[in-house]
Amino acid sequence: MNNNRGSYGGYQPSYGGSGSPTIKNPSTYVQKGTEFNDRDRLNDMLATEKWLTDGFNVFVRETSHQELHQDVLRILNETHHACRDIFNLMFEKGWYSLHPEQPSNIADHFQKFSGYQSQFPSHSTPSYNQYQSGVGQHPRDY
Amino acid sequence: MYQNQYSQQKRMNQPPRVLSTKDDAYLTDALSWELLAAKKAHSFASQCSDQQVKHQVEQLCQLHQQHYNILLNHLSPYQQDYENQTYPHFHN
Repeated sequence: MNNNRGSYGGYQPSYGGSGSPTIKNPSTYVQKGTEFNDRDRLNDMLATEKWLTDGFNVFVRETSHQELHQDVLRILNETHHACRDIFNLMFEKGWYSLHPEQPSNIADHFQKFSGYQSQFPSHSTPSYNQYQSGVGQHPRDY
Repeated sequence: MYQNQYSQQKRMNQPPRVLSTKDDAYLTDALSWELLAAKKAHSFASQCSDQQVKHQVEQLCQLHQQHYNILLNHLSPYQQDYENQTYPHFHN
């Protein structure tokens, strides 16, 4: 199956293929000329935020002391939220469309990967997830 | 003798609250990213015709300025004083 169907930020016409419906709002009109329009500006900001998350992901991994680590992790998290807000606005404006996967494919994949659970090496269920938020962690406090 | 002294010292279970050279390098990089993003967002917001897009982009400008301040705080003299006090031997 083609996994590359969402015309994310692009100008491709929406084409679901194999009769798959399109999930999309009516497009908010922008001038499709050579000038930089509102859609271009939002796309450019989204690209900037995405680029920032890459940078902060490396930064947070390389930090030394705890307070710096926590602050950078928070900035990374908030930058992801900013990406999400821009994405949602683009969707609302009808500048982004998606196509639902065939339910039969989803069912097949569920079946396949449910079967793989038998390969789990550990059968104990931990009482809590020590990595839950990743914030306020102290080394080896478990 | 030396081995003995070392083993009697308290072992640190995580790095002390000290900026490493690497931290400083990343901080100065990230500050530049945030400043650029804030300026870009502000410039874009002034050019937007759609009010919803304009508002969103203005919010982004604010966010990046906030992030700039959080990062800058890690380089501030106040923070450095705190670290000097706690670990004077790192700053000879």
